[in-house]
Amino acid sequence: MEVWKLPISATQKGKLISAGYTSISSLSSLPSSDLARDLNISDSEAQHILKIALQGCTRLDSSSGNHSVVNGAQNAWDMFHEEESLIRITTSCADLDKILGGGINCKEVTEIGGVPGIGKTQMGIQLAVNVQIPLDFGGLGGKAIYIDTEGSFMVERALQIAEACIEDMSEYSGFLCKDFQAGQVKLQPKDILENIYYFRICSYTEQIALVNYLEKFVSERKDVKVIIVDSVTFHFRQDFDYLALRTRILSGMALKLMKLAKMFNLAVVLLNQVTNKYTEGSFHLTLALGDSWSHSCTNRIILYWNGNERYAYIDKSPSLRSASAPYSVTERGIRNSASNCKRVKMMGTIT
Amino acid sequence: MTPQNLLKSPLNTQKCTLGCPVLDRCLDGGIPCNSVTELVAESGSGKTQLCLQLSLMAQLPSSLGGLASSSLYIHTEFPFPIRRLHQLSTSFQHLHPQLYVHGDNPCDYVFVRSVYSADQLLDIMSKAEFFIANLKTRLPVRLVVIDSIAALFRSEFENTPCDLKRRSSLFFKLSGKLKALALRFNLAVVVTNQVVDMVEPNQGVNGVRVGNLRCLYSSGRRVCPALGLAWANCVNSRLFLSRYEEVDREENGGGKGQRDFLCKRTMRQLHVVFAPHLPYSSCEFVVTRDGVLGVNI
Repeated sequence: MEVWKLPISATQKGKLISAGYTSISSLSSLPSSDLARDLNISDSEAQHILKIALQGCTRLDSSSGNHSVVNGAQNAWDMFHEEESLIRITTSCADLDKILGGGINCKEVTEIGGVPGIGKTQMGIQLAVNVQIPLDFGGLGGKAIYIDTEGSFMVERALQIAEACIEDMSEYSGFLCKDFQAGQVKLQPKDILENIYYFRICSYTEQIALVNYLEKFVSERKDVKVIIVDSVTFHFRQDFDYLALRTRILSGMALKLMKLAKMFNLAVVLLNQVTNKYTEGSFHLTLALGDSWSHSCTNRIILYWNGNERYAYIDKSPSLRSASAPYSVTERGIRNSASNCKRVKMMGTIT
Repeated sequence: MTPQNLLKSPLNTQKCTLGCPVLDRCLDGGIPCNSVTELVAESGSGKTQLCLQLSLMAQLPSSLGGLASSSLYIHTEFPFPIRRLHQLSTSFQHLHPQLYVHGDNPCDYVFVRSVYSADQLLDIMSKAEFFIANLKTRLPVRLVVIDSIAALFRSEFENTPCDLKRRSSLFFKLSGKLKALALRFNLAVVVTNQVVDMVEPNQGVNGVRVGNLRCLYSSGRRVCPALGLAWANCVNSRLFLSRYEEVDREENGGGKGQRDFLCKRTMRQLHVVFAPHLPYSSCEFVVTRDGVLGVNI
């Protein structure tokens, strides 16, 4: 176990690493006075660090000796740490990332739904691009699978978003290291397009077949970090007179996608349409595919219009609280809402 | 199954020009191939005019923004405006004589088919596939127009939950077939739709905002596209044509008695309601003898 995983402050970590204490084993059986001298800190602080390092060691020992009840079982503490260290896929909208806890989670199935024209496909394309942001820039450096059932994926639009994403990255690297050549973005817009595995699906049987095949496909390409289905709904809203069958097929498909997400540590994003639901004599809007489907996804995000602004609302999530955030669809892709930017700018000029 | 290489297909989707640079700029080149585009408007706004024009423009070579193709025109409203098509084709041929050197005529490349019911339309889809695959003319079919989809679905179905469910299931079936057809032959598909008036503001489900415009106005009335939310999910892009009467104040010479002589002009606008590749934009257009033309303001 390494020092940076210890629950201590960042400055302390920095001091430890720069003094050469990179692994926890290097801290064991070290007198606190030596550590205090090497790190130029007080003795009590050094004792505190050593105590935590010792705890870290014993926890590691106990956890490594303890998981033999069921093969592959994990305890909640390990899972918690794994989740902490997971990198999320940014949506390129800071407000949305904030309520999502950093972006779309890997290992989970996230459903995004909304009326036509709200930006579901835009969100899908944006995620397929953003998953490729290299590790140096805080991304995943992964690849994307895009399953298009509606024919709304436009290559020119993907290229536009990819170009904007690269521009943003080079701007960011310019800020970080003004005269540092290695910080330059090596990714090209064409590479981004090449790293999107695009499948066009024309019927629900094809869709089921593809989901079944994905396990093999992804196991050969471990760098796939997101699977986007745009939309999961389209072919399931025709030809199903017998709805129980549809429910069965859909939940089977959801289980397979969930398994893929867990097995290969990737994010699954399902885009869904909205429909009118008839209850108690009146119609109201709800996501399509019915009530039983709503249990199939880990997270559910609903996109909606609020006045002239687009909003995203977390409708269901085991770990995030319900919240909504504005976003906008710009030429460069999904971004913070324009009115929000203005507000920030205005505050900037006042202070 | 193997994924498609996105770089192998042309980076810009091929588009069919509308025959006017102003309108084309609004739509970034025209109607995209391998996609279903819906034209929504009340009657008399220029839907059919635009469709007729498109079916001629599709015959242009790709260097001029066309698809070098024939078109299949499925019409459900009668009679088919054959005289207007002929009028447009004459001026089109006059503009591009080099395209028709073999003694053929632009009208030879517009295949017209009438449809009377929704089920018949579904039926036609498989026949259309066979027809497009086996056509032996100089220009293959790359444009399919359905004018209008609303006429079929608005008459046949009752406003009961059961019928509405059956109707939306048909929508998805039809749209699935259209999209599969569009993919197979790389077709540009245009369907036209009517509007319904909104009686009270924000009434029920029709008040749901769909797309870039908060609400659609035409002839001073608030309208919304017919066929509801289910159909809106079935198209890739939606364009809205609006019209309103503008009174020319300069002509207003005298008192109230001269109201009748007010000069009224019909202003028409095209709006992008939603499209995967386009931001919101709009432009004015006029319908002239030679076709639909955008107006630069």
